[in-house]
Amino acid sequence: MKNNIKVERAKKNITQAQLAELVQVSRQTINAIELGKYNLSTILALKIAHVFNQNLHNIFELEENDWQS
Amino acid sequence: MLLKKADMKPNFILPRVFKKIGWMLFIPGILFGIMYLILKDELHFLDLPVFAIANDEILNKTVFFSIIKNNVFDEIIGLLLIAGGLFIAFSKEKTEDEFIAKIRLESLVWATYVNYSVLILSVIFVYGMTFFWILVFNMFTLLLFFIIRFNWALQKSKNLISDEK
Repeated sequence: MKNNIKVERAKKNITQAQLAELVQVSRQTINAIELGKYNLSTILALKIAHVFNQNLHNIFELEENDWQS
Repeated sequence: MLLKKADMKPNFILPRVFKKIGWMLFIPGILFGIMYLILKDELHFLDLPVFAIANDEILNKTVFFSIIKNNVFDEIIGLLLIAGGLFIAFSKEKTEDEFIAKIRLESLVWATYVNYSVLILSVIFVYGMTFFWILVFNMFTLLLFFIIRFNWALQKSKNLISDEK
């Protein structure tokens, strides 16, 4: 799964730490998501979308290999 | 809300204050443990009457429900290490979120594999009193391996963010 959290943060001019606080997770978590090292829960995805005032699909996008298990 | 039920599901993780309490039990446990390996049962003021659900007497006859005299040093050490280890291992991190929970689970699986690998090798290759002592250490090593691996993984995830502005 791809995401453009980093881009959205830049647009909104907030740091990883600030986003982490807004969605009540640790800074490591935001960093791991941005680096594609962690697949987040639906609730957290919805919270992030809410903070950026965006539709979920504008931030998270499936990749081809997500269909291969 | 529909989500409420899932949110309230207990995750069996202790409040954060238990982390500190855990270290306050675990460190003396280690120090007393080392002392025990040197002194054995020589601290005679710890020879106390205890209630034994089961006790093997010297001729191998097991006696149930009796009061016996026993040096409680090793019991104290065992309880300090187990309670301390559990508290350190399973108390909340500063921000206990879903990513931390994933690291926690991975580390627990890893530690279980490592712990039992050591035990399997010992079952095959170690005999006599040395095997007995490995069993004794094995009571605490699962927790110890977990604590080391979990904190290492947490630190690694923290180090990844140090260069981000």
